[in-house]
Amino acid sequence: MEFEPVIGLEIHVELKTKSKMFSSAPSVYGKEPNTQIMPLDMAFPGTLPTVNKEAVIYAIRVSNALHMKIDNELHFDRKNYFYSDLPKGYQITQNLRPIGIDGYLTIDINGETRKIEIERLHIEEDTCKQIHFNDFTLLNYNRAGTPLVEIVSRPDMRNGLEAMKYVEKIRSIVVYSDVSDGKMEEGSLRCDVNISLREKGTTTFGTKVEIKNINSISYIQKAIDFEIERQTKLLLAGEKIAQETRRYDSDKNETILMRVKTDAVDYKYFPEDNILPIKLSDEFIKDAIASCPELMEDKLHRYKQDYHLSEYDASLLLANKDVSTYFDEVVKYTNNFKLAANWINVDVASYLNKNFIEINDFKLKAKDLADLINLIDKNEVNSNQARNIFSKMIEDDISAKEAKEKLGISSQISDVDFVKNLINEVFSENEDAIISYKEGKGRALGFLVGQVMKKSKGRVNPKLTTELVTEELERR
Amino acid sequence: MIKNYKELSIRELHNALVNKEITPLELTKLALEEAKNDNNNAIEYLMEKEALEMAASLTEPEKDNMFWGIPIAIKDNFSTKGVPTTGSSNILNGYVPVYDAQVVTLLKQKHAIPIAKVTLDELAMGGTGTSGHLGTTYNPYCKHKKRLMGGSSCGSAAFVTAGIVPFALGSDTGDSTRKPASYGGIVGFKPTWSRISRYGLFPFAPSLDTVGILTRSVEDASFALEVLAGHDEKDATSSFKEVDKYSEHLEDDIKDYKVAIIQEIFDSITNETIKKTFLESVKKLEDRGVKVGYVHMDNELLTSLFPTYFVISCAEATSNNANLDGIKFGPYHDGKTYQEVMANARTIGFSELIKRRFVFGSFALMKENQHDLFLRAQRNRRHIVEETNKILEQYDFIYLPAAPSVAPKIGEKSDRLSNEYLIADNHLVIGNFAGLPSISLPIGYEGHLPFDANISGRPFEESKLLNIANFIEKDTHLKGIYAKKEGE
Repeated sequence: MEFEPVIGLEIHVELKTKSKMFSSAPSVYGKEPNTQIMPLDMAFPGTLPTVNKEAVIYAIRVSNALHMKIDNELHFDRKNYFYSDLPKGYQITQNLRPIGIDGYLTIDINGETRKIEIERLHIEEDTCKQIHFNDFTLLNYNRAGTPLVEIVSRPDMRNGLEAMKYVEKIRSIVVYSDVSDGKMEEGSLRCDVNISLREKGTTTFGTKVEIKNINSISYIQKAIDFEIERQTKLLLAGEKIAQETRRYDSDKNETILMRVKTDAVDYKYFPEDNILPIKLSDEFIKDAIASCPELMEDKLHRYKQDYHLSEYDASLLLANKDVSTYFDEVVKYTNNFKLAANWINVDVASYLNKNFIEINDFKLKAKDLADLINLIDKNEVNSNQARNIFSKMIEDDISAKEAKEKLGISSQISDVDFVKNLINEVFSENEDAIISYKEGKGRALGFLVGQVMKKSKGRVNPKLTTELVTEELERR
Repeated sequence: MIKNYKELSIRELHNALVNKEITPLELTKLALEEAKNDNNNAIEYLMEKEALEMAASLTEPEKDNMFWGIPIAIKDNFSTKGVPTTGSSNILNGYVPVYDAQVVTLLKQKHAIPIAKVTLDELAMGGTGTSGHLGTTYNPYCKHKKRLMGGSSCGSAAFVTAGIVPFALGSDTGDSTRKPASYGGIVGFKPTWSRISRYGLFPFAPSLDTVGILTRSVEDASFALEVLAGHDEKDATSSFKEVDKYSEHLEDDIKDYKVAIIQEIFDSITNETIKKTFLESVKKLEDRGVKVGYVHMDNELLTSLFPTYFVISCAEATSNNANLDGIKFGPYHDGKTYQEVMANARTIGFSELIKRRFVFGSFALMKENQHDLFLRAQRNRRHIVEETNKILEQYDFIYLPAAPSVAPKIGEKSDRLSNEYLIADNHLVIGNFAGLPSISLPIGYEGHLPFDANISGRPFEESKLLNIANFIEKDTHLKGIYAKKEGE
């Protein structure tokens, strides 16, 4: 019997707004516990929620990037349940009217395009963070109230690779639209997987197992592939799949039972009366979409189309959004896009790697790098010299021009008359070489060019010199 | 020095303060003295130290500020920074808020002097004034402590009824300001929903909750509204509508006003004194040129008022009070799991009455019941509001007796299935369903016990409402009455 896996994903994305979803407390990661809080975040009696406009704008950006229908009214509901990490005893979320519905995205699987449909995107708030010890638990309310969007896919995926690509795509969208850090390790992007198996060719769903809290993109594929194998074995052995929640253990590369799901919890949803429905004008929605920075797909297209970069070069730049932003800045000051891409992908990248820093902490301003690239482009320095200048610029925190001077690199001479004079001198001193050339000995050309270079103490432009020497030889 | 401050309205006290016939400190001391001698079990926390400090700091009279140096009381479901606030529930014993409710901030800015946090039915859920964790709050009109004050703003009503303060903050979800006002023969005013910020008011049912004003005159109520009304960015539901100078419209001409009396509600009352007195008041309005008409509302719809209210308010309440879990504030009770910790706190912290409401509210919200209970109640509420709005399209006001009786005796049973209970005792909730401004004010006595009538208007037409209420008050000559002590 052959089985078909049915996979749906629920992704929670923390929005990087300045303040929290419903309170004015700052929304920041990594601060001293319980210092980033307002009375609302701890649910002090009498506090009231107010909607964070920035978060709504962000949710619209993502909804739009996912080709969703965007609701023109904002509605919030309460999801009621008791839990130690839930200060109010309910979470404010969007149940009946999520801000985005009926979207999709496409992923590329071995050159083929797959369309994954997305059911809904809704805005909600995060809970507080718990740290469990043997006999006590610590609560950190800094995270309580952080804005989230939850993106719920339809059960359209069939294997771990597809799921991984889907998450990668969502990640790139939220990162490039500048709404989230999208860091799975830090929990700013969290993924829950629903997976069931059914006999191939059938349309009913099998019993669903949930895998929670997978904290890296590569684990998604591994967890799903393991789970498919586990469920297949069980089914083939004639056993039933239990409806349960599991977690992925990356050390053992297996999923482990967390809890068996009994009857689904009744969250007793009802409208949040402290927030009246908010009308979102067409203009507001339009502006929110217009304010969205360029998405990765669009950038890739632009890099290939406008800058004639190879898929490989472009993808390297785009692997890190901040790097691509840096590149965008550099090409404002130079037209040699290919050279700019190379320098960023090779020299800059290796400098960053070696020094363990991120591009945003890189000392060299984009314009300064562009200046250096322009020197190479105009043949004023060669690539070895350029590398020395690059190091000097960083070392002394100076411009390309200053570094070049400091290193005593004089500009290459591209004055045609000057070079021709030198060539004449060299030719009159090396009649033999001219004859050798005429006899078809190609090496003679290199020798003559070398002599010219030597005479100029290496200052003449080698490319120009080669051209002029060849021209002169042909003439004789 | 003034004779008896309890006889004076806010304007009269203000004049005395501005003319330096009395200082804020002297007045505060008088009020604190009265509060300490109060026998009605109305105090949650006496703010003696805070009040004396604040009063002593007031040396420069503010001519244009009616509340400068005026002692006031605050219902204990308003958050007060640094001052214990319990909502009269054991689950919040020892809770000291870190912030002031917006209305408290506004009153402090005006240099009003809060002298006490006063009692309520536990978490404002109740109409008798008997369910707070300190026990029953008594009606000052009965020195034998045999009469109900009514609730849930029992402490606020008792303080104003006894004359201790000229103004107290209350809250009103069903009739919690206007009903106890009737049992005390004072003014109980619930403005339009969203007219006053609810930030810092412990929520009972946010779609109904309104900050309430208890005073002994319509003019005093208008002064209070001028201070309290307005948009607050901390309450997203608070209105941006401009705030009127309500006190400047009290004497406007009322002869073009149209007043409706809902026949079925009036008929559900059996107390002849109340009916007769009410009709006398109506007659006097007519004498002033007001047009009065009798309108109808379906009896079945009216008998659904209470169940509709009960379902909606309990459902909202169960969620609003889910934050009270013993983890963040209030007494902590240990347990092996977080569920045990929460269950212990809530089992010990809430009274049986509250638990019953939570169970009921939770039941009404369950998936399998929501359609038949919560959503049906919501639909019915809409229906009631539509019917009410129809009346208010034709009339400016709805005028009725506030309650079917004077303050009941404690322990007196009412027939909960009678129209008297279901309609007459619950009709004030229409004002909450529709968010209407609604004011109760005394119109007469049965024996030595006063009772109120209630008049409601269109949303945000507080100026008109206070205007006509002011004339009703003129006709009754009951402005400023309070429960005098023996020998007073």
